[in-house]
Amino acid sequence: MILPDLSWILLIPLLGLGTLCVIPPDNISLIRRVSGIAVFLPFLLSIWFFTSYDPVRGGFQFIEKIPWVVPLGISYHLGIDGINSLLVLLLGIVSLTAVLISKPVTERVKEYHILLLTVIIGTYGAFLSLDIFFFYFFHEVAAIPVFLMIAIWGSDRREHAAMKLTLYLTLGASLSLIGLIALYHATGQNSFDLIQTQQYLALHPLPIEVQYWIFPLIVMGFGITLTLWPFYTWAPEGYAAAPTAVSMLHAGVLKKMGAYAIIRFGIQLMPQAAHVWMPIIAVLAVFNIIFCGLVALTQRDLKYIFGYSSCSHMGYILLGLACFNTISLNGVVFFMFAHGVMVALAFALIGFVFHQTHTRDLDKLGGMSQRMPFIAACFMMAALASAGVPGFANFVAEIMVLLGSWDQFRLPAVLAVLGLVITAIYMLKTIRLGFHGPLKPQWAQLTDAQTPLAKLPYVLLLAVLILVGCWPSFLIRHIGSTTNMIVASMHNSEQ
Amino acid sequence: MLPIIHWNLISLEVLMTIILVMLVLLDIFLPKDVRDDWIGTLSFIFLFGLILFWIDQRDIRGVTFNKMFVMDSLAWFFKGFFLVVMVFIFAMTRQYFKSLGQRRNEFYLLLWLALIGLCFIASSADFLLMFIAIEILTISLYVLTAYLKSDKLSIEAGMKYLILGSLASGFFLYGMSLLYGVTRSTGFEMIQSFVNTHAMTPLSLFAVVLIFAAVAFKIAAVPFHMWVPDVYQGAPTPVTALLSVGSKAAGFLILIRLFFGIFAGWHPQWSLVLAILSAITMTYGNLVAIYQTNIKRLLGYSSIAHAGFLLMGASAGSMLGAAAINFYLLGYLFTNLAAFLVIVLFSAETHRDEIEDYAGLSKRSGILAFSLLLSLVSLAGIPPLAGFFGKFTLLMAVVNRGYIWLALVAAVNIVISLYYYLMIVKRIYVDLPINASPIAVSLSMRLILGIAIFGIVTIGIFQGPFLDAALTAVKGMYLFHL
Repeated sequence: MILPDLSWILLIPLLGLGTLCVIPPDNISLIRRVSGIAVFLPFLLSIWFFTSYDPVRGGFQFIEKIPWVVPLGISYHLGIDGINSLLVLLLGIVSLTAVLISKPVTERVKEYHILLLTVIIGTYGAFLSLDIFFFYFFHEVAAIPVFLMIAIWGSDRREHAAMKLTLYLTLGASLSLIGLIALYHATGQNSFDLIQTQQYLALHPLPIEVQYWIFPLIVMGFGITLTLWPFYTWAPEGYAAAPTAVSMLHAGVLKKMGAYAIIRFGIQLMPQAAHVWMPIIAVLAVFNIIFCGLVALTQRDLKYIFGYSSCSHMGYILLGLACFNTISLNGVVFFMFAHGVMVALAFALIGFVFHQTHTRDLDKLGGMSQRMPFIAACFMMAALASAGVPGFANFVAEIMVLLGSWDQFRLPAVLAVLGLVITAIYMLKTIRLGFHGPLKPQWAQLTDAQTPLAKLPYVLLLAVLILVGCWPSFLIRHIGSTTNMIVASMHNSEQ
Repeated sequence: MLPIIHWNLISLEVLMTIILVMLVLLDIFLPKDVRDDWIGTLSFIFLFGLILFWIDQRDIRGVTFNKMFVMDSLAWFFKGFFLVVMVFIFAMTRQYFKSLGQRRNEFYLLLWLALIGLCFIASSADFLLMFIAIEILTISLYVLTAYLKSDKLSIEAGMKYLILGSLASGFFLYGMSLLYGVTRSTGFEMIQSFVNTHAMTPLSLFAVVLIFAAVAFKIAAVPFHMWVPDVYQGAPTPVTALLSVGSKAAGFLILIRLFFGIFAGWHPQWSLVLAILSAITMTYGNLVAIYQTNIKRLLGYSSIAHAGFLLMGASAGSMLGAAAINFYLLGYLFTNLAAFLVIVLFSAETHRDEIEDYAGLSKRSGILAFSLLLSLVSLAGIPPLAGFFGKFTLLMAVVNRGYIWLALVAAVNIVISLYYYLMIVKRIYVDLPINASPIAVSLSMRLILGIAIFGIVTIGIFQGPFLDAALTAVKGMYLFHL
């Protein structure tokens, strides 16, 4: 049997993109079908690669490498380990559902799907790349399509939100790019190869005074992507204005690239500086959790609630990153996955409600569960998952991060638990105001998701949340195979 | 005894001159009522012939005319660059005058003269020849800028360019004569050996500063940028395109020859100055560009900002820095010329250059909108387009030099420039058109636009071969010294 290469995950959507370009714009059903296939096959591949990754052997597997720009040591280099195989799986799930729920888009459908596929290709590429240059390259490919999608298909204040999001993210990316280039020169290996850089730096760590200023550039830069407090304001506005698919992908997956990059290029490559800087990040993480949580409490717009809530939840990731032990680092990666699925589900459901009611204002909604019981039930579960109720994946992730941080950051951990209470308050409030209570007369005509195909995206996301929540060890075995190594190298660096 | 002249080194320029003379004679003797664009067609044919000839010259290297004229890898690289630029400029000119209905034969002849000037600049190894080559280029550009005799803006632009340009020429001449006083030579080889054996004196510093000022005028670096906005706006669009790509590239070519070659021995003295100028230039260009309402003026300020980015490579003073300049210019060629092609095609239909007129362009012409989108995004430096890798290599060069502050300034500038480029993108793709009539684009222009887009994307994704070409051009440079 010929095993598929990781490159196919990039090539299939790329082929789909090329096909879309030649389809006439009025053939909408064909466009949707091509786009659906272009994300469905990579979804299957992502499952296949995730299950065939061997956690016992560990390390990077399925490696492909083609020299690209030889004088600068850039190569097209793909591979997966326990962390990015999971994130690729996450993207597989979210991208499939994002295309499936894009049916209500009827305007400029061809351009929409072309841009959506570009975002998806860029994100796959960033997660799969084992070359620092190509990580950055793919990571930035998504920037302009996201801008255009928000500005064209978005809702209220879309142009402002699109511009703000793009400028913030580009600023973060440029800062981190300088950090990465400085890292390249400081290493002196004339190579952007991640594996080679890792091996070299494990044996010859950079002088602390060099690490000391490169590390904050990278963490600040990617921290903006991860909505590090106080650089989070682009996110709620951007997600609120964006079309549903972009909100799902951005909040669910693209944002996680920040955390992924901090693990890969920050903590793992410069552990000594991480020991100095990450306690400060832990303090900012508490601001994330509490401050953004309190802001979410005051919001009346469904998307803003989940926008701020996702900024607040990033605090747990940041807190976990600051702890340097296996359990919290496992928790962080687990959290990235769980939160990605949960927030994608929530935005998909909000998009469903918004498409019919044209409002997301809690004061105008109410009693939705009477007209759309399926959607309401899904929404409740998403909200409960977000609040960290046991049985859902998010609970496992939060508990791991909190357990891991207890010894090092006692006060932040206590405050983080308080954050869970805040989340529970606004989530319950949202359910009560939006979906329970009497039905307003103007909503009497609303319909639920009826066909199995219409229900599929929500069922899929929910199933993943529950499955992973009840059987976390399956994921943790994968994640642990890589995080163990990272934590071990961090402890070595301490001595 | 007369020195031996190696004619094969200079054959490209000789051929160009013969073509020019022939076209002039044809223009005089053919009947005037031949109104169609035969001179443009002939120019195209000759240009493609010259490109083939240029490819054939890839291994011919040497110095001749008493070490005044050099054909090295850098000259070869830039001659090809200028030939490709001219293909686009000629295509633009055809389209531009089709809508204007004016006489254009002299315009082509002047463009040929400018091309000859550009190629001589690429090959000069002596300040005297370099000065004459610059003047050939600049004088034809003065006339080209003021070519629209009935257009007030064009006359004003020509006048401004002439006055400030003459000032720059004066600087160059003055600096050159001072340098002659110090080194007793105008030849690059003699000057370089002097630089390598003598420390910098106040007088020689003054000479270098004057020469740099003249070059800074060409590349539109602050504080010698004053002419840019008015000239860019007023000049016929093909001339603006030539100024922004050809003339700027010529300036950087001189900069590489001087500061990576003959003056490289004094590198520590000028590196920091260039870095500071680079930071000021890019910040100024980008900040002022935000407020522009005319697209040619906006691209004028953006070209100042790009000069600032390019100066980063010069301040790095390394092989990578020089190669980064070459690479960046290569990407800039396709990117900026695609933008100017769109402007020409758009104004041919609408006779307008205001940014607000571009509203809803995507609904009026898909290909124009897409080309402009790609070129603006590439100018902003977003992958997977050519502009990104150019900025990336420049940043690598300055970080390697240790100018982290300059890299940070550049990072902030990338964000500022992205803002005003995206404002145009928003107009094209999001806003509704004021006038929804479709804009027709002829097949030949689609082809030229297609070449430009192909260039932008190919250089952006398959960077390797182009970076190799840029590196080879620097490595094999005559009198290269670091």
